[in-house]
Amino acid sequence: MNMQEKNISENNFEQCIKCTVCTVYCPVVPVNPLYPGPKQAGPDGERLRLKKGLFFDDTLKYCLNCKRCEVACPSGVRIGDIIQAARIKYGSGSPKLRDMILANTDFMGSVATVAAPVVNATLGLKPVKAVMDGVLKVDKRRTFPKYTSKKFESWYKGIASSQDSFGKHVSYFHGCYVNYNYPQLGKDVITVMNALGYGVHLLENEKCCGTALISNGMIDQAKRNAEHNIGSLRKSVQEKKMPVIGASSSCMFTIRDEYPHLLGVDNKDVRDSFELATRFIYRLIEDGKAKLVFKKDYKANVAYHTPCHMERLGWSIFSTELIRIIPGVTLTVLDSNCCGIAGTYGFKKENYEVSQAIGKPLFDQIGRIAPDYVACDCETCKWQIEMSTGVTVKNPISILAEALDLEATAAANR
Amino acid sequence: MKFDTIIIGGGLSGLVCGIRLQKAGRKCAIVSAGQSAMHFSSGTFDLLGRLPDGTPVDDPIEAISKLDGGHPYSILGADSVEKYAAEAEDFFAGCGIKVSGNAHKNTWRVTPTGERKPSWLTISDFTPLEAKDSAIGSKALIVNILGYLDFNTRFLADSFERQGTSCRIESIKLDEMERLRKNPSEMRATNIARVMDRDGVWEKAAAKVKEKLQGEDVLVLPAVFGLKDASVVEKMREAIGVRTMFIATMPPSVPGIRSQLTLRAEFEKAGGRFFLGDTVVDADYNEDGTVKSIGTVNFGDIRLYADDFVLASGSFFSKGLIATPEKVCEPVFGADLTIAEGRDNWFDRNFWKRQNYISFGATVSSSLNVSVEGREIANLYAIGSLVGGCNALYEGCGGGVAIITAMKAADVILEK
Amino acid sequence: MGYAARDNEFDVIIVGGGITGAGTARDCAIRGLKVLLVERHDIATGATGRNHGLLHSGARYAVTDRESAEECIKENMILRKIARHCVEETEGLFLTLPEDDLEYQKKFVESCQAAGINAKVIDPKEAMRMEPSANPDIIGAVQVPDGAVDPFRLTSANVIDAKLHGAKVLVYSEVTRIIKDGDTVKGVEVYNTITKQKAEYYAPITVNAGGIWGQRIAELAGTKINMFPAKGALLIFGHRVNNVVLNRCRKPANADILVPGDTICLIGTTSSRVPFEEVDNMYVTADEVDVLLKEGEKLAPSLASTRILRAYAGVRPLVATDDDPSGRNISRGIVLLDHETRDGIKGFVTITGGKLMTYRLMAEWATDLVCKKLGVDKKCVTMNTPLPGSEHEEIDEISKKTWAKPGTPHKATVGRHGGRAVQIGLENEYEASLVCECEEVSVGEVKYAINELDVHNLVDLRRRTRVGMGTCQGELCACRASGLLADAHKCTERAKADLKNFVNERWKGMYPVCWGDTLRESEYSQWIYSGVCGLEAEEESPKTE
Repeated sequence: MNMQEKNISENNFEQCIKCTVCTVYCPVVPVNPLYPGPKQAGPDGERLRLKKGLFFDDTLKYCLNCKRCEVACPSGVRIGDIIQAARIKYGSGSPKLRDMILANTDFMGSVATVAAPVVNATLGLKPVKAVMDGVLKVDKRRTFPKYTSKKFESWYKGIASSQDSFGKHVSYFHGCYVNYNYPQLGKDVITVMNALGYGVHLLENEKCCGTALISNGMIDQAKRNAEHNIGSLRKSVQEKKMPVIGASSSCMFTIRDEYPHLLGVDNKDVRDSFELATRFIYRLIEDGKAKLVFKKDYKANVAYHTPCHMERLGWSIFSTELIRIIPGVTLTVLDSNCCGIAGTYGFKKENYEVSQAIGKPLFDQIGRIAPDYVACDCETCKWQIEMSTGVTVKNPISILAEALDLEATAAANR
Repeated sequence: MKFDTIIIGGGLSGLVCGIRLQKAGRKCAIVSAGQSAMHFSSGTFDLLGRLPDGTPVDDPIEAISKLDGGHPYSILGADSVEKYAAEAEDFFAGCGIKVSGNAHKNTWRVTPTGERKPSWLTISDFTPLEAKDSAIGSKALIVNILGYLDFNTRFLADSFERQGTSCRIESIKLDEMERLRKNPSEMRATNIARVMDRDGVWEKAAAKVKEKLQGEDVLVLPAVFGLKDASVVEKMREAIGVRTMFIATMPPSVPGIRSQLTLRAEFEKAGGRFFLGDTVVDADYNEDGTVKSIGTVNFGDIRLYADDFVLASGSFFSKGLIATPEKVCEPVFGADLTIAEGRDNWFDRNFWKRQNYISFGATVSSSLNVSVEGREIANLYAIGSLVGGCNALYEGCGGGVAIITAMKAADVILEK
Repeated sequence: MGYAARDNEFDVIIVGGGITGAGTARDCAIRGLKVLLVERHDIATGATGRNHGLLHSGARYAVTDRESAEECIKENMILRKIARHCVEETEGLFLTLPEDDLEYQKKFVESCQAAGINAKVIDPKEAMRMEPSANPDIIGAVQVPDGAVDPFRLTSANVIDAKLHGAKVLVYSEVTRIIKDGDTVKGVEVYNTITKQKAEYYAPITVNAGGIWGQRIAELAGTKINMFPAKGALLIFGHRVNNVVLNRCRKPANADILVPGDTICLIGTTSSRVPFEEVDNMYVTADEVDVLLKEGEKLAPSLASTRILRAYAGVRPLVATDDDPSGRNISRGIVLLDHETRDGIKGFVTITGGKLMTYRLMAEWATDLVCKKLGVDKKCVTMNTPLPGSEHEEIDEISKKTWAKPGTPHKATVGRHGGRAVQIGLENEYEASLVCECEEVSVGEVKYAINELDVHNLVDLRRRTRVGMGTCQGELCACRASGLLADAHKCTERAKADLKNFVNERWKGMYPVCWGDTLRESEYSQWIYSGVCGLEAEEESPKTE
């Protein structure tokens, strides 16, 4: 008899045993009493919502989508997914102008990059901050990431031809942040991969992964981006036989897990060929296919922060193991706590205080350790930590790029 | 990724085993599918409270000879159990967890509903009683935090009064707690503890509690202090001055979670790798039948290799065992199990009587090796509540079995 | 009425606090009679609380029992008006599977139409759009005006209204003797199982509305009714798989109705004859579970992978008319017995048979007879009079009117109590805090139930509020609610015994389906209650070494 052999429903909220563990690890609950908490907002609320949509509670918007509840859950319930899916299904209509602006990271980026000097100057100006605060409800205490004057994609065009000369090749999903705000990370990825003997090619017509679109309820647009990106991944993986790497944990997580779980965009055939650069490099080393040679004089006291989505992916081990093999580095892995920014969440005026309160334990710990810099795979965490602690945050790939003896490494991998 | 030992399950036994191995210089990883049952801990570890026939146990070590051969204590032998039990106090102290107890003499803990249960090691938050009917004092003041529903003051007062202690019930209100109270569901032990742990708040709580005292010689409080740092509990005691008993609450358990966090930190500090939120999906084997590697959801195509593997995956709750209408199985390796055949024999119709399914678990050898289809696997061990042959709840032996099998398995691996 | 002056004298005594008794008490009270309702346990504990909770369109009976079908559809339409907070207008589908005879559908639709039931043949594809969980293999579908009705809420609302009209309600009061003077019933002797005290009550008419247990009441009165105890087992699933009632379009058989009810759905039933002696102790067998699952899966395939919360069984209070061993072909028709004409016993009336759906009509008939006997000339108005809580507004409107920012718990409360939710204090933090998190029951609602709705223990509380009816079956909420009951009743010992009884009662429904997540849930409950709390079976006699 096969009945109930696999009593695992698609609605896996019913695997919830009501053990309350998720509530212990939710970063929002301790600081925002308006948020019903992951158990109530997730599996408990879902049973009522299945009865009638009117049981949907607008306060679900306070969920950061950090997924720490899912990591803690002993029953494997995708609590964060249930909450986000409920927001998508039952949440009220059209997003606010502010949310649309914040969510459209690539559109905003395109405009801002062209006018970068002006934008950077004006975003820092008091009157501009006042307008953003008062009219758009973007908190004035928030420091904005700077926009670059030359997009990463434009810079890449200048070096694209050099990448063909390598024997092995990967595609690279750089993400909006690298393109518009911090091209240096993209350059570091190319530097490191080149040293390992890989040519790096931009993923064809990459679009914003959609993390911010999803959290701001712009699901149709997110779905269009998702379908487009999965198409591009397919082309790279299946036609060009090039695996795809990335260096931003949230883009990675969204494309691998949120696409199928929240947007219903199937990625089964390419999911395993899209991974973080640190994981890609770790595997090469473990398989004996790559060798890293480091500068003799590189020394640093590094503290690693585990971004929420890295915690969910379970992949921080690859970043930390790579940092650990740098001879001159002492590494402290910080307690895994949410920094509070959660993409665009912390930018919103109504969330500012909560956002900073959530991050406080992390900021305090960084303050106590006083590292030379914090290592972290997520760019929004970087903004938040830099703004809140004054300590520089670097992506593990950038740390590798700094620490590697590039010529010796290139020679060793030729 | 290669380790010396990989432990599946990050609860009490997995962590004890991992810490012992890691401190002995072995490179260990723990894979844990979510948080563990320590989150619902009572704050004490029991060794043996009752024999399977219902006889109460006073001296657990002495009582081991009366257990049948399939019991994990019998499998390890009384001498071995005694040896490890004697080490336990120091082991936890070495991890920064203060516990006390005597394997030759059970003490008694007061439960959240005012019952008395035999216990062995008591976390320093709690006050063990010498006898089941010990009075906690002559006059007790029981104080709750206003609005906290998981601390049943009336049940407690009722039970203390039966031993001749007169009781008064009060509650305190703290402005710092009012924010939390706005949330209708999150007035939980851990969230209260988060607020209480802040400097200034516990002092205020202590002062408010003191104000309520009217000459009582014992004060009873819910265990909602010291989520990250046990010293808050001691500081509270000092600030209040009167003898203070903390009583475990309904889940989540503040001292249990603190112990879990402390053990995990100790494991990682010693160099162990803890993979939380990951699930083991399969295993492959060497030609000699030993386990070669395991695969997990998060590691995907990168497999985890080790010389030895320890199953500390718990029972049904933690999915160390899976039950279908027809059978019970261990999902990763298909380990041989000790179970009762036929679903009718899994349960008693009375919830409060001994439930057979609680005693289901892996069949192990004297060195805690697991077998699959009758063949013993030389580098695979089972520890903790996954081990079959004992009814942890009825016999009151879950804590002891978890700790002692974990130490034993670590030593077997170290002695190889 | 002038002549009923003393405290223990009434115009009419109604025995049985199921839906029939409650409905009769309400009708009598509205018509101005001084009413006493006595119930040996809590209200809605018998067959009333142990069925599908289906708001029958009558379609199921159309082919075999036209009279019942007609009664059903009429009452269906009335309940939608008068009991809106107890009713969900879900619609229903009768599905023909490949293994069923499509010819039956034709006969079925004709019979429905003849009985006045609006049955429409629809395209199977349209049926799948209406209810995506339905078996996609269906070859035929008929839409009927089925719905869901919460029997606990419905009974409670009837009791509330009876009390609002002056009725006295005694629960936990068992009739131990029928007081007779010659061949005239004068009243009842009642034993209160909580206070352990006996009392006598008098009335010119006693109505036996004891359902299956009415056989005993009749025996006490010195007459005999042959009840036909037919056990029906059902399974409750952890959440709503379907939002439209699903029926099999075939002759009534095992497990052919899947009803969404509040936060869950349930499949049933089986039918087997049980000896009368066993009606107080119904256990669901493994075979019954298996057949329910096997057949249920055919209606909605996802049931095969959905967590089962519990199994339970009820006893149909059918009056035996022939020797049909299955009990299915017996008429669900209403049986009103005037024992004066039937057996020569004056002042004694039995109302039985029928079903949840036709309770109001049964009450109307019974009350008509009582009035006739008492010489009271009052017409029945219950078909047009909304029950307390069911006055007009929808959940959303009531919530918005009552609270500034109604959240899910507020709306859930309104869902359970309709318009009367405005009486429930949820204003301050304490009252708003949740006792039962699965079903979102707050302290305020629990207190309201204890103070206003005759709640004596946790099981009663569950019937009024759904405390402990959710996924965890009482893990945390039972202990919290037990504390509130201890406060209210000022008795800790009783509260603790009650807590144990409640957890055991939940377990009774769980162990027949205890595997997978249900077993995980049970183990967790064991850790909490037997482990952390250290509660144990009472009768365990401690041995000494």
